[in-house]
Amino acid sequence: MPKPVPQLVRILSLAAGAVLCATVANRLAPPARRLDWLGRVPLAAALPATADGPAPTPGPGPAPAPIPEPTPGPAPTPGPAPNPSPNPSPNPAPGPHPVPARAGQAPARPANAPAPALDAAIRFPPAPDAVVQEIATLDAWDAFRLKLPFLDARRSEDYLAGHVPGSWSVPVWEADLADRITEFEARVRPAPRDPIVIYCSGGDCEDSRLLARKLVELGYRHLLIYRDGFPDWAAQHRPVSRGNAL
Amino acid sequence: MSAREAPPAGSAPEAGRGRWWLHPWLGLRAPIALGAVFVAAALPKLLDPPGFAKDLWNYQLAPAWLVHPAALTLPWLELLCGLALCLGLWVRAAATWIGTLLLVFLLALSINLARRHPVDCGCFGTQAPVRPAEERMADLRWAILRDLGLLVLVAQVLAAGVTRGKSGLEG
Repeated sequence: MPKPVPQLVRILSLAAGAVLCATVANRLAPPARRLDWLGRVPLAAALPATADGPAPTPGPGPAPAPIPEPTPGPAPTPGPAPNPSPNPSPNPAPGPHPVPARAGQAPARPANAPAPALDAAIRFPPAPDAVVQEIATLDAWDAFRLKLPFLDARRSEDYLAGHVPGSWSVPVWEADLADRITEFEARVRPAPRDPIVIYCSGGDCEDSRLLARKLVELGYRHLLIYRDGFPDWAAQHRPVSRGNAL
Repeated sequence: MSAREAPPAGSAPEAGRGRWWLHPWLGLRAPIALGAVFVAAALPKLLDPPGFAKDLWNYQLAPAWLVHPAALTLPWLELLCGLALCLGLWVRAAATWIGTLLLVFLLALSINLARRHPVDCGCFGTQAPVRPAEERMADLRWAILRDLGLLVLVAQVLAAGVTRGKSGLEG
């Protein structure tokens, strides 16, 4: 009569089976479903130095005020970001929306005032003491019109469902993160102090911060986190692309 | 391995004398129910390890080096143990693992509930990306209650296994 297998051996066998199955399945999985076994995710998405953005909207409360739409506006179809419009039409929405300026930051403009000619260096000046800044909806729109590079830190399936036109899918949780960053660098060739906008799902989504942390490690020194992320972008009826535009 | 066994002769009268939780009717169904829950919990996580890794990370408890290996391994462990319970194979070993996992889950959920950190449970796969904090806190409480209930089932399976082991039927 065969000797019964000890319980400890059975327990360890179940664990070994799980590791074996996980190894095989992870090897066979597509990049979007794969994880790096040795990947290290910092416990808190703390950043070296952060600050609020150059032109924050008024503090917490209701949804951000509508932003003046340039004429002609960008088409809501897939493709690259449109050219910046030097003289967009005034905001049709009545009433000014005063935006408090903070020390060392570009002054905010009233919502019904014509937007000045945009220049990335003026609109988003680098802050030596804050390599990562948070920006609000108005700033994100200006960054889009300035054709600043946008990085989408959400999962690739979320990117395919809808994203900022011209943005790059750099899902921070997927195994090909390094390849996607390399591809972005090869095609965009950003300088370390060029502004780069990062967004995810807003709210308490930390993917933008995790990606910013990764980019800071790679030497980038002017990262703008779009605080409210893609849900805000869509809620503001900004142009949205679907599918894999890039 | 030992296939699911019939309850030992004479166990029903014993159960009738107050040990109702060891009744053969329950002893047959509890492992299957427990296993089915864990198979159902494992499948969505197996399909999306990065999503589960993100859920684990959101708990803000696991060290950096542990998140990815745990996200890759835990769903398979849940699946194997769930299948073992459903099939009546290595029942005590599988129940031991599931009990251990439940204790870890309970601890993680309780810590986040205590510090009012609203996380998505991630127990049955990744939830909708943006949910109100109040909704997630309520879900945390329900998840704790559910895990406590599952722990009771684990205790039943282990106790029944010990009884069968004493009867020489199941180890």
